[in-house]
Order: sequence, then C-alpha cells, then structure tokens
Amino acid sequence: MSTVTIKNVTKSFGSNVVLSEFNETFGDGEFVTLLGPSGCGKTTMLRIIAGFEKPTAGEVYIGDQLVSGGNTFVPPEKRGIGMVFQSYAVWPHMNVFENVAYPLQIQKQPKEKIWEAVGKVLETVHLSQYAERLPNQLSGGQQQRVALARALVAEPRLLLLDEPLSNLDAKLRESMRFEIKEIQQRTGITVVYVTHDQTEAMAMSDRIFLINRGVVQQCGTPQDIYNRPANQFVADFLGKVDFFKGEVRDGRIVFPVMGGQSLPYDGERTGKVEAAIRPENIFFAENGPLSGVMETVYYLGDVCDCRVRVGEALVRVITGGWQEESLRKGQPVRLQVRDFMVFPDDGLLEQMLTIQT
Amino acid sequence: MMRKKETGRHPASVCTKIGLAACFLLGLIFVFFGFRGQNQVADASLGNDDSYNAIYTLSKDVNAAWETASADLASFTEEERNSLDETVLSLLKANWENTRAGAGEDAAAFTAGNRAAAWKLMTVSGLVNGPKVSASLRKKITALPADSKTDFRRQLLSCLNDENAQQPAQAEQALEGLTGDERRAMVMQLYITALGDEKQQVTEHVRDLKKSVRNKDSMLTAFEMVVRGETSWLWQFIVSNSKTVILFGVLLILDVILLALLMASEKQWILNIKWVVILLIVDFLLVFLVLPVFYMIYRGLFPNGSFSLETIRRLFSYSLNLDALKNTLIAAFATMVLGTMIAFPLAWLVGRTNLYGRKFFRSLFVMTYMVPPYVGAMAWLRLLNPNAGIINQWLRALFGLSGPGPLNIYTLPGMIWVLTTFYYPYAFITISRAMEKMDPSLEEAGRISGASPLKTVFTITLPMMMPSLIGGALLVFIAAASCYGIPSIIGAQGNVNTITTRIVEYVSLGQDSLNDAIGLAGFLMIVALIILFVSDGVLARKQYITVSGKSVQPAMVDLRKGRLPLTLLVAFFAVVVVVIPFTVILTTSFKADLGKSVFDPANFTTSNWVSVFTMTETISSMKNSLIFAAVTATVGLLVACVMGWLLQRTQVRGRSIPNFLITLGSGTPSVVIALGLIMTMRGNFGINIYNTAWILIVAYLIKYMMMGMRTVVSAMSQIHVSLEESSQIAGAGWGRTMLKITGPLILPSIAAGWFLIFIPSFYELSMTALLYSSTTKTIGYQLYEFWSYTSQPMSCALAFGILLIVILLNFLLNRLTKGNFSI
Repeated sequence: MSTVTIKNVTKSFGSNVVLSEFNETFGDGEFVTLLGPSGCGKTTMLRIIAGFEKPTAGEVYIGDQLVSGGNTFVPPEKRGIGMVFQSYAVWPHMNVFENVAYPLQIQKQPKEKIWEAVGKVLETVHLSQYAERLPNQLSGGQQQRVALARALVAEPRLLLLDEPLSNLDAKLRESMRFEIKEIQQRTGITVVYVTHDQTEAMAMSDRIFLINRGVVQQCGTPQDIYNRPANQFVADFLGKVDFFKGEVRDGRIVFPVMGGQSLPYDGERTGKVEAAIRPENIFFAENGPLSGVMETVYYLGDVCDCRVRVGEALVRVITGGWQEESLRKGQPVRLQVRDFMVFPDDGLLEQMLTIQT
Repeated sequence: MMRKKETGRHPASVCTKIGLAACFLLGLIFVFFGFRGQNQVADASLGNDDSYNAIYTLSKDVNAAWETASADLASFTEEERNSLDETVLSLLKANWENTRAGAGEDAAAFTAGNRAAAWKLMTVSGLVNGPKVSASLRKKITALPADSKTDFRRQLLSCLNDENAQQPAQAEQALEGLTGDERRAMVMQLYITALGDEKQQVTEHVRDLKKSVRNKDSMLTAFEMVVRGETSWLWQFIVSNSKTVILFGVLLILDVILLALLMASEKQWILNIKWVVILLIVDFLLVFLVLPVFYMIYRGLFPNGSFSLETIRRLFSYSLNLDALKNTLIAAFATMVLGTMIAFPLAWLVGRTNLYGRKFFRSLFVMTYMVPPYVGAMAWLRLLNPNAGIINQWLRALFGLSGPGPLNIYTLPGMIWVLTTFYYPYAFITISRAMEKMDPSLEEAGRISGASPLKTVFTITLPMMMPSLIGGALLVFIAAASCYGIPSIIGAQGNVNTITTRIVEYVSLGQDSLNDAIGLAGFLMIVALIILFVSDGVLARKQYITVSGKSVQPAMVDLRKGRLPLTLLVAFFAVVVVVIPFTVILTTSFKADLGKSVFDPANFTTSNWVSVFTMTETISSMKNSLIFAAVTATVGLLVACVMGWLLQRTQVRGRSIPNFLITLGSGTPSVVIALGLIMTMRGNFGINIYNTAWILIVAYLIKYMMMGMRTVVSAMSQIHVSLEESSQIAGAGWGRTMLKITGPLILPSIAAGWFLIFIPSFYELSMTALLYSSTTKTIGYQLYEFWSYTSQPMSCALAFGILLIVILLNFLLNRLTKGNFSI
C-alpha cells in the first residue's frame, strides 16, 4: 500500500492546458475520487499517475519513489499499479483465468502460486465458476469484475479506476459500487477513482477532488463539499441548487427578483451576494418568511418536486411525496428556508457554470 | 396458424402463383423453341442448295479457311511469291530492329570485346520467332489441295467488305465485278497483313475473322429460309438467335424457381420488388461468372465431350505445367510470408507508436496498393538486370566484381522480391485497419499489468490481430498467385513460368492447347476458393470486435531511444520500395541512350515523352481505358449502392445471394475469369461479346465490383438507421430521405467506391491480355506491348504517365476516405 504525491503537475496539449498546478497527496489506503464534468482533466490526471501520459511540468511520487518528473520517467509496467479501464479492456483472445493470471505470468511467478492467487481473487469478485469462459460469453458486469480481478491479482500498491461503472446499467452500477468499496476496505489498498457521477463519488470516497477546466475547485470529504462548497460551481455540480442574486441589508438578504422579499442572514458577507438554496432545504410553513404561488407540482412517488413563483423568481421545493394531496396549483403558499449558502456576487457564476469540454 | 393459412388463400397470392407458373411456362417455351431453331440451323446446313451450303461449311471452320488461304498462296506464280516473301521479310526485319532496341541496354553493358558476340546472340534470338512462322506456312502451302479457291475468295470478300457482305448474293455480285488481278491482290493483302505483323497480330486477325464469320453464320441461315418463303419473321428471329433464346429461357426458369423458393420461405406469395432487383444482379453474375467457371470445370473434366482425367494428368506430367505450378506456389507463399513479415511491424509502427511522420508513411504505403504492379516490375528490371542493372553496376564498382551479376532479377527470388514490394500493402492495409479499430486500453491493460511494450505486442496485440493478419496474408497470397504483369515481365525472360503466364501463352496458341490452360486455371481457382472460404467464412467469424465506445485518442507507444533509428528504418524501406523504383522509371523516360546516365546533357531528351504521347496507339488506348474504366466504375457503383441498401437497410430474404456471388467474383483469379469468358462469350451460349469492349467491362465488373460494394456497405453500416428514421418521422418519404440524408452522408464513400473500381480497371493487365482485340487495347496492355516490342525509355515515359494519373486519383481517394478504404 502506498501514498501518491503529486507536485505542481501541469499538462497541456499544445496551447490547450488540460490540467494546471495539481498539488496533492493521496494517503495510504485512502479512497480518492477525481470528480468533474467530462473534459475537465480528471482522466488525464489518472493517466499521468499510471504513466500513460507524461506531465508537462511537475512531479509524481508513488510512495517515496519519483515516477514522473524531471528526467525521470518510470514506464507504466514498472510502477506496480492495478488499473481498471472504462471499456474494461478484457482481452478477447484469453479466457477469464488467463486474463487474470497475466500480470502474475509477467512476473514469472510459479504456477501453483498463480493458481492460488487467481483462484482467490476470482473468489473475491464472485467469478470462480467462470474461469474457463471467454470474455464474449460474459455480461458487461462480469467483464467488469474480470478487469477488477486482473487489476487486483498482483496485489498492487495502488489501484486506478477510470469510470469503471459508466458502461453498466443502473442496478448493476449500484451493486458494483458497494462491491468495489468493500474490496477496497478489505484489502486496504489506495484507490484513485475517476468518475463524472456525483452519486458514485459521494457513496464511495474518503475524499473527493472536484475538478473543472483543469483546476481543482475543492477537495474534501463528501460532507465537506456538499455542505460547504467552496464556490458556486461546486455547489451547482453536486446536488440540486437554485441561485438568487440579492443584497445584504440590516441582517437580512433582500432579493429584488422576489419582489423585495428577504431572508434573515447573520454571516459576515456584505453588499451584493448570491444565495444558493438547495430545494430539499425549503419547506412549506404557515409563517415562513417568503410568500408565493404554487406554479407546478410533479409527483415522483417518494417526493414531490414543486415550483413556487416568488415575485419574478421560480423557487424549487422538494417535499415528501405524502404531501401531494394538500398541494394545489395556484394555491398561495409560504416558504421556510432551513439552510442556504451565500457567495459573493462576483459575476463569475455564469462563466463558472458553463461546462467547458 | 389460422392467419397464415388465410394469407395463402389471399387473391393476390393466387395471382402471384399464376404469374410464376406462367413465367415458368414461358421459360420452357423459350427453351423448347430455341432448341428447335438450333436444329433448324443444323438442318439448313445440310440442305441441297450448293452455294449457301458451301458458304456455311466454310464459315463453320475458320481453320479450314485459313488453310485454304495457304492453298491459294501456293497457286501464286514464282514472281508473286517472291514479292510476297520480300514483303514478309522486310516486316520481319522491322521487328528485329525493335528487338535490338529492346536488347540495347544489355548490349551496352558489355565490354567492347564481347559486344560483337552479344549482337550476334541478339540477332539470332530475334530471328527465332520469324522463321518459325514462315516455315509452318510453307508446310501448309505444299500440303493443300486447291479446289475450294473460289469459295474461299467469296468468303474472304464477305468478311472484308462488311457492309456489302450482309447478304451473300450481294457479295457474290461484288465478287463478279472484280478482275482476276484485283481478287488476287485482295487475298495477298489480307495474307500479308496477317503474316507480317508476327504471331500477335496473326492471332488477332484470326480472331476478327472468326468473329465476322460467326455473326454471319446464323444470319445466313435465317436469310436462306426467308428466301425459301418457309418462315415468319418471328421464326426467323428465333432461328437466328436460337442460343440467346435458350439462354433467356433457362434464366427465366431459374429465376422463377428462385423466386418461388424465396416466397415459400417467407410464406408470403406476394412479389417483392426487391427480389426483382436481386434477381437481376444474380442473373448477371450467373451468366458472366457462374456459367464461365462451370463451363471451364466441365471442359476440364470432359475435354472431348467424354469424361477424362487427361487435363489433370497433363497438369502434373508435363514439366512446363508442373514448373509453372511449383513456381506459382513458391512465389506466392514466399511473397505472403515476406509481405506479412514486413506489413505487421510496419502497421504497428505507423499505427501505434510515436514514429516520426507516421501519417505521411501511412498514406505512402496505402498509396502503393493502387500502383500498377507491372510498373514496379519494369523499374526493378532496370535496377537489377544482371548486366545493365543500376544496382548491379554499383555493386560491381563497389566490390570490384566482374559482371554479370551479382544480383539477377530474372530468377524466382527476383520475382518474389518484386511481388513482395507490390503486394505487402494488401496485408498492411488489412492489419492497420484492424489495429486502428482495436481499443487502445487493451494494450494499456497489458502495460499496467507489468508487460513491457514489446512483450505487450507479442502477448496482446499480435494474438488479437491474428485473424486480420492471416486474412491479410491470404490476400497477398492470392494476389501474388494470380498476378500476370510481374511474372510476364520478369519471369518470361528468365524462363520462370507461372500459372498465369502459361495460361496466357496457351490461349494465344489456340484451341489445341486450351486444355492445358483450363487445367492450370482450374488449379488456381481451387486454391482461390479455399482461400476465399477460409478468409470470408472461418476468419470473419473469429474476428474480435474490439471497438470501444469511448473515442479516445489512442495512446501511442513511446519508442524513446528507438524512435529515430526506427523512423530511419521505415524511411529506408519507403525509399527502397517507393522512391527508387519510381525515380528509375522517371529518369529512364528521359534517356536517349539507355546505357548512359540521364545527367549527361547529351543524353537527356524529352522525345520519349513527346513521341509516346502523340502516338495514335497511345491516345486511342488511353481513351479506351478511360471509357472502359468509367463505365465499369459507374455500373459497378450502381450495383454497389443497391447492394449496400439491400444488405444494410432491408431484411429481404435472399439478399445474401448476390453478395455471395459478388464476393466469389472478386476472389476468383483474373485469368480464370478471363479464360472462362473467352470460352463462353463467343456466341456458343447465345451471347457474343468476344473481341468487344463489353467483354472487358464485364470482366472488370466481376473482378472489382466488390471493392465498391464493401465501401458503400461499410459506409451505410456506420450511418445509424435512426438518422433515416428521424427523417421519415419528420415527414420525408423514402426517396427524399435517401436524397437528403443518406445520400449526402455516404457521398464521400460513394465517390471513393467509384475510384476504387475505376483505378484498377484503368490499368488492368491480367484479364486484358486475354480479352483485348485490336480495337479494344487498353493503356495497360499498350504499355506492356511497348515494353516487350518497342523501346524501354518510351515505355517508361508512358508508365510514369499512368503512374501520375493513378497517384492523382489515389490522392482524391485518400482525401475522400481519409485513407480508410477497405479492400
């Protein structure tokens, strides 16, 4: 098991900077997720760690060993890493056993040891009875697990996963998510996981790195970045959120778009601000500070997804499904806000929210 | 169940069944009356009207006519004969000059001491063909009776004056009007032309003669019966076209049976218009591919109408044949092994590594696929001729050796070398296409598992490429085995015969040696069929589908320290197989004297270019080639588009039948196609396109149609059906959808498909060598003739001209497809 230290890694293709000044240490046995919209540079970072790309500048250490940087470059095969690819990359001309045994054969391990190790790892991924099958006789989920077994069999110091679940259907994705997490906890391996799926990231990670346009926007535990987003992009990318421009005045934030209605505020920001309200943090209350008219109600079973017209603004409210019967279109309602985030209105919001690929 | 039974009783289905039965009956009627008409022709020839009978008998056998001509010659006075001999001699002399010019380069390399000996040798070898012809002539002259002279004259006259010869009576009249001297002059004229222009043109002339006789054959009979007043116009038509009527009837019956089978398997007795289209394509291929090949097999097993294994025995007992078999197999196998060994590392370096200039190298190697191989043979001949070859001269100067040698192109290894440099692109294109389709993370998974780049190549890339590798190798094998241009230019002079050169030789020798040609062609066909079965049946199913959903820029293997040396190695290879040969062709084309350097100002001349491109032969054959290739490409592409649509967009039953036949056609070696067409398309099966442009176009179509089809099919498979469906949802009809959506999307591929058929048809040689006539010579054959009979610098000028055209078209093709056409 091993740590990964990344020092000032920058990667550019020509004039196009895909990763700038990445600086971080992934702890031993940590499950780290690189999260971000497609084209944000997260896969590039992973491939730099793997050794498939060279950083334009900066250094990468695995454990204490410098693997990329300066004049040093350790090729992927010498890095002792396991990796699962998005397309699984299970070799079609080898059966499951041969696929999984490959890394050990390269190491020239004795036959008995290979048998034992492959048997054990196939047990772990629940594929023992499929050892003789060819990849084209396996389902997507099974191929996925072959790839995982192959990445784990040589007991690497580091496991890299490149959007491993994106080609699976929803149900399978959910079960694989917990399987991977369980294996990681059992083996105590350091994992770097790349995904664009926030749920995946939230469910599995010890720490999440949220990346946009090659820059780490925030890093922290799932709770940190969901509840205390560093900027509007982070708030917007994780979960649902509505932004309202307003102004802090006398301990309240006044929203011109809501016809001058206001919410109490005791934070330290002053002047023009942007309030970010998550719909699950708003609820209907007789004496709420905001008043509006119910515009639409979507019944989704477990919840009701409502939009309330407050002044000119449309406020999204997610409330329990059981309330559906009491919600009427056109009905006047009052809203209470349990919690909200306040950012300075620096005019960067629109620019930040445009996802660049 | 109930519903199916009901559809069976549907009124439309009853109509269809009646229609089918009617067509079947019509077919039978055609066949019946066709045969009756044919009997009538036979009867007519036995009739008692002497004059017609005589004409008919004479026209039956041209060989007899030929011999009678010899007899006529025997009746000449001494004086006349002398003048004839003189003319013949002078013509022969003119040919020596040509031979000498061709041999000039060899002679130039000799030292002054043995130059005289060399000249003598040249002259003697140049003479060999001439005397042979005149000796056999004299034998015939003395052996023949002279009583059918008049009839022969009449026959000749009707052949010569085509427009007057429509009716024998008129011909006879015209003959009466001639004086004795005029008649004699006419015979002599014909004779001298036939004799003077050497074997080549004698054969040609006999062909033309045969053709005109055959045309008149049935016409005369029909005419005769109209004169006798015993027939209606319909009967006259049937009699004069009896074989065509039979063919049509047989096709109709076959179509009806096929249609009935299709309908029965669909359990729907309603005529689907798509089936008509399918049947039309199938009919074309039945007549021009299946019939010739089957007839050839039949003739091979029943050489004289009864079963005999003589043909097969001759194949192995006659040393010339056995040598040709051995040479072909050895050359094709060696070319396959060498070509694949070159192609795989090349494809990997160019497709998977950070080699310098990989895109440039890729287009360069793909481009050579389309270069006429005989141009390469000409270049390598100039380079490796044991005496005058440039490389040999360098080597001798370098190591102080004395000539000839040390390398000799006129050998089997020499031929293998040239074949390899021109056929490795087949393997290269196949392998690099598969490599490009391979998901790069498969290799990366190997690397991350601890394998070095080289180990990854051998344990991951190579095994995964195996099906494509074998497929590419087999393509090289069959292309090398059925190549005519290279062996005919290189092998012939070194007495290295191959199946193809033997076949062409046998065919030009005439009917008697056809059985040997059939035996060799049959052997080649069997080899080709096995390869077709393996590569299209077995291998296609083993192909790993490795295309990933994600479009990643494939990661390149970093060659690191090897990058520069490997680039230099690839560049060196490119120089050897592309730059040097083409440069040699170019420089030779500017030489006045072959033996001297082109940089000698006195030796530099553009006259070769001027004279070759102002010759009427060049211009007319260039025109022929352009027209034939354009017609072939257009017709072929039409079929390709129809097939593309049928295969990719419909589920209609039976669509795989034409697909199979088209694939079969392209897998059939060129000489086999040509030989089959020669044997079946001279009127004996109701179609007479022998010696016309059509037989060439048909042959090109059979061979190259699939190139277009594959391109269109793969283009259509890449356009998701939903694109068309959304157009239909938007309210556009089928036609509009094709025009506005599918058409524009596959247009580049359609244009590419057109070029892919056009280019090889344009410079084709193997089939043309067997099927051309004096009026349908193509540029490829013209070049071959120039090379064999005229001067090398001039042919090099023409070769480079062809090369420029092909490269230009290639460039267009590459622009259209971005280098991704399949073969």
